Order: sequence, then C-alpha cells, then structure tokens
Amino acid sequence: MKNIDPKAITVKKALCPFCSFGCEFGVVFNDFGITGVEYISKGSSGGRLCPRGSAAAMYLDHPRRLSTPMKKQKSLEWSKIVKELKKVVSNPKNVAVTFDRNITLEEYASIIGFCKNAGIDDISSTYFEPETNLRSFLPKAFSMTEVDDAQLVLLLGDPFNQAPMSSRAIIDWKLKDKKNELVVIDSINTHTAGFASRFMKVNVGTEPLLFFALAQEKIEGVDITKATGIESSVINDVSKAIKGVKKGLIFVCLPFAHTYDPRLYAEGLARLQSFSGMKVVPFVEFMGHKGNQNFASIIDKVKKKKIKYLLNFGELFPFYYPQMADDLRALNIYATATLKYDGYNALPVPLNLEKDGTIITTFGKKNLGGNIEPPSGTKSINEILSLLSDGRGKGEALRPPEKKVDVAERVRRLAEVSVTKKKNLRLVGEKVAYNFLGFFEGEALKMNPRDAAELGITVNDYASVTSKHGSVDLPVKLTEDVGKGIVAVPAETPSVKGLFEYLIDSGDNTINFIPTEVKICRKE
Amino acid sequence: MQKRIVLDLDLCCGCRSCEAACRVAFKGEARIRHGDIAGVAYLPLACKHCKQPLCLASCPVEAITRDENTGLVLRSANICIGCKSCAYACPFGVIDAPLVRHISQKCSLCVDREEGPRCVAACSSGALQWLSDEEIERHEIGMRMVSKDLFFRRKA
Ligand code: SF4
Ligand code: SF4
Ligand code: SF4
Ligand code: SF4
Repeated sequence: MKNIDPKAITVKKALCPFCSFGCEFGVVFNDFGITGVEYISKGSSGGRLCPRGSAAAMYLDHPRRLSTPMKKQKSLEWSKIVKELKKVVSNPKNVAVTFDRNITLEEYASIIGFCKNAGIDDISSTYFEPETNLRSFLPKAFSMTEVDDAQLVLLLGDPFNQAPMSSRAIIDWKLKDKKNELVVIDSINTHTAGFASRFMKVNVGTEPLLFFALAQEKIEGVDITKATGIESSVINDVSKAIKGVKKGLIFVCLPFAHTYDPRLYAEGLARLQSFSGMKVVPFVEFMGHKGNQNFASIIDKVKKKKIKYLLNFGELFPFYYPQMADDLRALNIYATATLKYDGYNALPVPLNLEKDGTIITTFGKKNLGGNIEPPSGTKSINEILSLLSDGRGKGEALRPPEKKVDVAERVRRLAEVSVTKKKNLRLVGEKVAYNFLGFFEGEALKMNPRDAAELGITVNDYASVTSKHGSVDLPVKLTEDVGKGIVAVPAETPSVKGLFEYLIDSGDNTINFIPTEVKICRKE
Repeated sequence: MQKRIVLDLDLCCGCRSCEAACRVAFKGEARIRHGDIAGVAYLPLACKHCKQPLCLASCPVEAITRDENTGLVLRSANICIGCKSCAYACPFGVIDAPLVRHISQKCSLCVDREEGPRCVAACSSGALQWLSDEEIERHEIGMRMVSKDLFFRRKA
C-alpha cells in the first residue's frame, strides 16, 4: 500500500499573463491537482498579486475548461476536426486567419508563416480592445522606480484596477512629498481618482478632446468646456503644470467601450506627450498583434462571399462579441478556446499560463516559463498548425495599411457626440480587477441614485439593461461615482460585452466598441 | 504573541486582491471582505482576533475557541453547525453571513501558511501588513492621512 505524505505539495513558478505587469507567482499542486497559488516574495511584484493573478488557480482547472474539440455543442475527436480543417485550408482563397488575445510572439510568427505556406492572404487581428491603440507608446525599458523622482504623474483612467500592482509605487510617491502632484483624468470617479491631487472628471469618452486642449492645440469651432465638462481655467492650470514639469510620467489605461474614438485618443496622447515631454507608459491586458488588414475588410469579403471560413487563434473571438453574429453569419468559424462556449467549432488550447514563449510586458519582453502541464485533450497552436501543414515556418510581423487620422474632423465629431442629448442612458465599460471573467463576482451596474430614483430602482435591486444588441439582468450599485445619465459596467463576460455597439472606422477599417445607449428597467 | 494584520488605510487602493487571495485559498470563502461604508469609504474588513471575542461567546456549540498563547480565535470546521450566530455577533461585521460551505467563514490568520496571511502577501499596495506588537508601536500606520473627508479620506 502507498504511504501518503500529507505535506507532499509542489509549487510551480508561473508568469501571470492577465496584464502587462507580468507578475510572478507559484501554482500549488498536490496529488489531486491544483490547490491554489503561492505568493513568491522574490517575484517581480514582491509576491503581490491582484485578483486576476490569484484567480489563475481557478482558471487553470475551471469547470468550464475546454478539453475536447467541439462542433455544434458536441465533443468531437481531434482527428475528425483536423481532417475537416485540412480540407478547408486546401482552398486557401476561401479562408481568413485571425488572432486575438494571449498569443506569444513565437506563436504569432508561426501563424504568419503557416498562412504564407498555405497561401492564405487574408490575415487580421480580432482583438478589438481599444488598448491596442496604445501599442506605439510602449517604452523600450521601464521600471516603476522611475516614479520616485517625478514631480507630476498623470493617470489616464484607473490603473489601480487595470494594473493594481502599480498602486504601491504611485501611492508611496504621492504620500512622500506634499508637492508631488497626481492628476487623474477619467469619466468615472474611481479608487484611483480618490488619490488625486486634482481629478478632472470629463464627460464620457471626451478624453481625447481634453488631451488636445491640455497640449494647447487650437480646435476650430469646438467648445472644449462644453464638450468635456472641464473649465478652461482648470485646463490652463494643468497645461501649465505639465509643460513646466522637470520629470513627469503619464500612465494610461483604456478599458473596453470607455471612449468613442480610441484612435483619436492615441493621437491626442501623442500630442500631450510631445507638448509636455512626459514619458507615456501604457498598462494594458494584452498588446495585440497585427495582420495584413483590419477586420472590417474581412467582414466586407465575407459579405461579398469571397471568404467562407475563418480560423481564429486566441480565446475571445467570436465568443465575446455576440453582437457581431449578423455580420459573420455567412462564415464557418473554427476558433481556439480555453473555456466552453456554445455556437462555434471550438479547438481546446492551453492557457498562456501553461505555455512556453515570449510575451510583451510594460517592462520589456518576458518568458512565460511553460512549467505547468495543460489539460490532456488540448493542443498548442503550434501542434494544430503542424497538423494542418507540413512546412509552417516562421513569418515576419505584418502591418495593415494605415491611413492618416483626420484630427480636425474627428475632434468635431467627438465634440458633437458628447453634447448631443440622448434619450436613454449611456453605458460605459470600466475595468474592475475583482470582476475578472466573473470568476469571483459577476458584473454589477453602477448607476447614479437620481437616475435610479426616476426609474424606481433602489438599493439591492436588479435591472434589465437593454441595448439594440440584447438584454442582460444585472445587480445595481447606486453611486455618485457615475454622473447622471451614465451607467457603467465591467465588460468581463460575453453577455455584457455583447451589449455594446461597435463602429467600423471608415478611415482604416478597424472595429471600435463604444459607449452605448441602453434602456434600463427594474427587474421584479 | 502572534503577529497581527494591520491595515494602513492611507495605502489601500480598493483592488480587493486581499479578498481574492482568501477566496482562492479557502474554497470560495471570503474571510476578509471589502466593506462599503455608507458609500464614503471602501476598506477591507479583517478579523481582529479579539481578546474577548463576541463570535466565540455567541457560538452555541463552542466551535470557536481562543488560544491563550497565540491569541488566535479559530473556528473548528468539524464542530461548526453553520447557525451564523457568530456572523451576527461580531461587532466588526467581518464574518460574512451567507455560507459558502455550510460553515461560518471565519478567518484563521492562515495558520496553515508559515509565511503568514495570504491576504497580506497579495495586497497590491502594501496597505495590509503583518506586524508584531513591537513593530506596530514603531510603525507610522495611518500617520500620513491626507483626509479630504471628515471621517474617511480619499473621496474626490
Ligand atoms: S497586476 Fe497584472 S500581471 Fe500582476 S497579478 Fe494582476 S493581472 Fe497578473
Ligand atoms: S470574528 Fe469578529 S468577534 Fe470574532 S474574533 Fe474576529 S473580529 Fe473578533
Ligand atoms: S489571514 Fe488568511 S484566512 Fe484570514 S482573511 Fe487573510 S487570507 Fe483569509
Ligand atoms: S489588497 Fe490591499 S490595497 Fe487591495 S483592497 Fe485589499 S487591503 Fe486594499
């Protein structure tokens, strides 16, 4: 008989892939599998982990973890789905290849190489999060200790939720010297905003307008105070402060559907950077990779029946964007996935936590380590590509054609959107670390008490939130953190993400999810 | 005397990493929770391992005991009947009344972990600290308060 040592546990080192902070931690195993995470004091965040890092243990052996290929909601053998896919890629002109989140640099190169060898010409990103617009701001090397000798820090959005590990350095710096100025710009009053020396609460989605104004750029015919809700005296004060600062930093977080024009946001940020000389550091979940075209071009070809099949590598698409179903109806989609969702042909793949390979973080490139075994039944992207083609090779990074941004036109459009009276409430996306994929706590709707009173909604009520794409019931949190006319929700699950409207940018065919009009009723 | 968990509210950024760490370690039980104090402040509510614990006094089956040497107030999972008396008795409201595993969600100060509490290890801003009585004396907890509010600071 086997003797069981009750203390027999193993801890395997992992790199958290859930945001660009790249914290290290241990995953704890006993004879029966994963039991939790361990906080390694020598790790890059000193062992500290935000709710997403701690949730890694729940993700790795989640009850909805996908471990067999699925077709029409039924399990299927790998050999059968591979046979099907081989047939699909034998006619490469009918096929588009796309990718979204959690693809290592090596996997990206393999996918591009595979397309080249297979003769697939339509390649695109399906990672539609606005943060991909911040990619060009990634510093070559960055350390949080750079905050120590700054005089002014500008926080765009809510880094204490987007990348909570940034909080320690920023709060310590703020409390160290009364002269240290922390300016926060956001449309929602967040925990981060609570630490601000000066909080500029802008009208929803108008951050880019404020960036241009702070950079002292004249915008013909646009009333910035009216559009952003920020007094011109305040804008001038802050503008002077950032211009005169010896050392300053701008930390940026841009959540899903938080602003109307992410491209203009990036453009405004670039102006702010060159005006102030401050270093810009984005905190994101994933940087995104580029294809040779943007996704709306693929939708176009689908509509013209030129593309019939789509093979997506990643874990979000198409599951997280149900509002796109109409545009994609004519497509036969095969998508890699880590959790079970209905409706598409799904191929089970390892999580980034279980991969070896390189990812880009705020602090430079890091290796994932590959210390944790993925569930049997999953196949890595490289394995899948090898099964489909003998010579997958390595491909060079791609770039879609880029069009110059017509700043004046976009500024005017954004100003107009922000001042137009809406009949309904506006739903904005926000980032809340604790809501990560709904593992700890599902999404709750933040609502201003005055709006709630008008609709007969009180504390602890549920509300149904309806957009033109669907309806979801959510618990309501009444708070002055959101202004009247605004409701906010962390977009963490497909049902909530699916409420938001998307726009195709006619300039460059990118897809942007934007703040969306919704109707809200009290749920009995 | 056992070290204790001390909160420096000046530093807490409201990320709820502490709560997540506890829930992952204890099968979904949030033995430390983020409390919303009348919409004015959000702060983690941790068990104080009181000298005269009311949770212990209220327990009808003596499932909660206090170790005089370490000062730890512990709940025995085998004895607890899940009646929630302790949850209502605790003057600090740190025991969550809804049950996750049919027993009360009582903090054990992570006695099973040599390095100390997981909530402290995970805390992103360093607001939760694991200190001995002497360290608490020396430490300037809460001394940097920059309150904008009469009672709680940091409400823009
Ligand atoms: S801050 Fe980012 S990298 Fe660190 S634990 Fe949280 S999600 Fe993971
Ligand atoms: S649960 Fe409450 S009463 Fe009991 S020891 Fe903790 S703080 Fe004291
Ligand atoms: S000390 Fe351990 S059991 Fe107690 S609240 Fe913290 S993590 Fe939970
Ligand atoms: S982990 Fe630390 S900073 Fe975050 S909520 Fe808990 S005590 Fe506050």
